[in-house]
Amino acid sequence: MDFAGTTVIEDLSFDVRRGETFGFLGSNGSGKTTTLRALLGIYLPTAGILHIDGRPFTPEAGSRLGYLPEERGLYKKESVLTVMTYFGQLKGLSKKAAVSWSMNYLERVGLGDKAKARVDKLSGGQQQKVQLGVTIMNDPELLILDEPTKGFDPVNRRLLMDIIGEKKRAGATVLMVTHQMEEVERLCDRVILLKDGRAEAYGTIPEVQNQYGGTMIRIGYSGEIPDSPYYDISVRDRNYAELTLTDTGTGSVDEALILRDLVDAGILVRSFTTSKLSLEEIFVSVYGEQNEMAGA
Amino acid sequence: MCMASRTKWRVLDMGRNNLRTVISFEVGRTLGKRKFWFITLLVPIAIGIVIALVSLGNSTVASTIDARSDANLTFTYSDTSGYVDPAVATALGGTIVTDDTAAIAAVKSGDEDAHFVYPADPAKTPTQVYGADKGLFGNGEYDGVATQVLSISAQDQIGDPALTALAQGNISVTTTTFTDGEETAGFMGIIPPLIFVVIFFLVFMLLSNQMLTSTLEEKENRVTEMILTTLNPTALISGKIISLFIVGFVQVLVFLVPVLVAYVFFRTSLNLPEIDLSSFTFDPMQMIVGALLALGGFALFTGTLVAIGAVMPTAKDAGSWFSALIVLMIVPLYALSLILSDPSNPVVQVFTYFPYSAPITAMLRNAFGSLAGWEAAIVITELFLLSAIVLQLAVRLFRYGSIEYTNKVSFKTVFSRPKAAGVGRR
Repeated sequence: MDFAGTTVIEDLSFDVRRGETFGFLGSNGSGKTTTLRALLGIYLPTAGILHIDGRPFTPEAGSRLGYLPEERGLYKKESVLTVMTYFGQLKGLSKKAAVSWSMNYLERVGLGDKAKARVDKLSGGQQQKVQLGVTIMNDPELLILDEPTKGFDPVNRRLLMDIIGEKKRAGATVLMVTHQMEEVERLCDRVILLKDGRAEAYGTIPEVQNQYGGTMIRIGYSGEIPDSPYYDISVRDRNYAELTLTDTGTGSVDEALILRDLVDAGILVRSFTTSKLSLEEIFVSVYGEQNEMAGA
Repeated sequence: MCMASRTKWRVLDMGRNNLRTVISFEVGRTLGKRKFWFITLLVPIAIGIVIALVSLGNSTVASTIDARSDANLTFTYSDTSGYVDPAVATALGGTIVTDDTAAIAAVKSGDEDAHFVYPADPAKTPTQVYGADKGLFGNGEYDGVATQVLSISAQDQIGDPALTALAQGNISVTTTTFTDGEETAGFMGIIPPLIFVVIFFLVFMLLSNQMLTSTLEEKENRVTEMILTTLNPTALISGKIISLFIVGFVQVLVFLVPVLVAYVFFRTSLNLPEIDLSSFTFDPMQMIVGALLALGGFALFTGTLVAIGAVMPTAKDAGSWFSALIVLMIVPLYALSLILSDPSNPVVQVFTYFPYSAPITAMLRNAFGSLAGWEAAIVITELFLLSAIVLQLAVRLFRYGSIEYTNKVSFKTVFSRPKAAGVGRR
C-alpha cells in the first residue's frame, strides 16, 4: 500500500479464522487503520485483496460485515431512529425490520427514549452506542472494530464487551484494533503486531509471547549477576533483577539451567520465579524502542 | 441459475435497493427540514405579499377614483389655444374665466376646486392646473379632467371616431417574417424556450449550496467510512444528485403554484396582461434542445459542486471555488447583447463551447434561434459527456477526499493510486 510513493504497508498477509477474535495491534501510525481501510476498499490498495470465505469482499455482495471505524460519526442533524433505519436498509434490512431492530437495541442500551432525538443532542458515549448498533444491526458474520472501547466509560465498556461476546458466541468472527492490552489478552485468540507496515509478531498469545518476548525470570539475590548470551538483564537492582531469556537460535533455554549457572557463579538466590512477558511488556519493548528513536 | 449468476443478480438488486434507499433518505430529510421550506417558501410568500399589497392598493385607488368621480368637480379655465369646446367644458363642470390671477386666488382660498390654464399651443407648452389638495390619489383627478376637456374637444373637431383613433395611435400591427421560406415564430416563439434559462438559473441558485454541502456532510460528520463499507460510492453520489433533481423539481413546483394562482385568480386586480397560450409558438426541437441543455448543465454543475465538496474539508474552504463557478455560469449574461446580436462573435463562440458558460449561452441562443442544430448537438454531447466524467471524478475524489477529514486532498494523490484487482473495484 503506497501513499504518494511512500510504502506504508508492505508484504502483510494474515488469516483470520472463522469464529475467532483476532487482535490487530500496533503503535500509533504503524498502519493498522490503513490496513483495515485498504482491506475494506476505502483505500484502493496498490496490491492485495480481502477474501471472506474465499470470495473477494465487496459491500454489495451481501457479506455480513460490521465495521466500527476509528473515526466515529453519524448524521448529526437527523434523529437516532432515522439514521439507524437508513443504515439498516443499506445493509439489506427492510424498513420495518430496521425500525424494529433499532428500537429493541436502543431499549437494551438505555436509549429507548432517545429514538426521536437528534444525534447531536446525545452525549459522546450515547452516540458511540448508536454507532455500535449501526455496526451490528445486520447480524454480521465478520465484525471489524477499530478502537471499539475508545470513548466508553467502564460501565459502557463492559456493555460493549458483553455485546461483542454475544456476537462471538453466535459464531461471529471479530477483528479488533485496540491499545487495551488487557482486553486483548482476555478476548483475543490470536494477534498480529504491526510495525512499520510489517508483521512484527503473529500467532496465538502464547506463541507471540514465545516468539517475541519469551520468558522472564525474576530473582531475589545477593552477589553479582554475570552477563550471559542466554538472557538480557532488563532490571538490575541491589537485590532484585529481571532477566529476559533471549532467542539464541538453538532452541528454548531451560530456566533450570539458568538457575544452576547462577548458583555456580556464586550467586545466593533467595527467590526465583518465571513468567511469560505480558502483551503490554512486549508492546512496550517493541514500540518503546521505536518511540525513543523517534524522540531522539 | 448458476451460483455466479445468482450472486450477480443479488449484487445488482442490492445496488438498486441502495440507490433507492439513498434517494429516499436524502429527499426525505431535505423535504422534512423546516429550514428547507422556510427558504423555499420565502420567495412565493414574498410574491404573495406583494400581490396582496398591489391588489389592495389597486382596489383602494379604484374606489377612491370612483368616489371622486361621483362627486361633482367644478373648475374654472382660461383658453388661449381656442381648442377647448365651451360646451364640453361646461358639461364637465367648467366655467370660462379671463383673469387667471383671480381664479388661482379663488382656488387658494377654497372658493373654487380647480383652475386650468390652457396655453396657446397645448402640444408644446404644458397646461397649468391649480387645485385644492385632495391627497395623493385625489389630485390626479385634476389632470384627468383637464386632459379630458382638451381631448374630447379635439375629437369633436375631428368629427370622425376612426380618424380620432388613428390620431391617438391606436393602431395594431401583425408582423409575419420568413426564414428559408418558413414562417418564423417571432417574440411568441422565443418565450417558451427561454423558460429553461429561468428554471435552470432558479433551481441552481436555490440548490447550489445543497449541492456543495451534500458530500461535505459525510465528511464533516465523519460518517464516510461507515458509508463506504456499506454502499458503493457511485450509488451514493448518484443518489445524491438524483435527490437534488427531485428537490429542485419540488422547488420549481412551489414557485409555480403562487404564480399560477396569482394569474388565474388575481389577473384583473394585478393588471396582468391576459396570456393567450395559443399565441405562443412551441417549436418541438427548440424545446427539446432547451430541456437537454438545462438538464446537462444542471448535471455538470451538480457533479462539479459535489466533487468540490468531496475535496474540501469544510464548506468555508469550498466557498471560493463555489464563487468561481457562479461567475463562470452567469458571465454570459454580461454579454447578452453580443449573444443576441452577433452569435458568430469569437467571445460568444467561446462562451458557447466552454462547458461552464455553455448552458446559459446555448439556452439563450437556442431561444433566439441562433443555435444551429449541429452546435446544439455538440454542446449537449459535451455537457453530458463531461457530466459523466465529473461524476466519476466526484466519486474518486469522494473516496479519497472524504476520509481526509481535515486536509484538502490533492489531485496528485487521487490519481497516483492504482486500481486494485477486486477489492474496492466499483
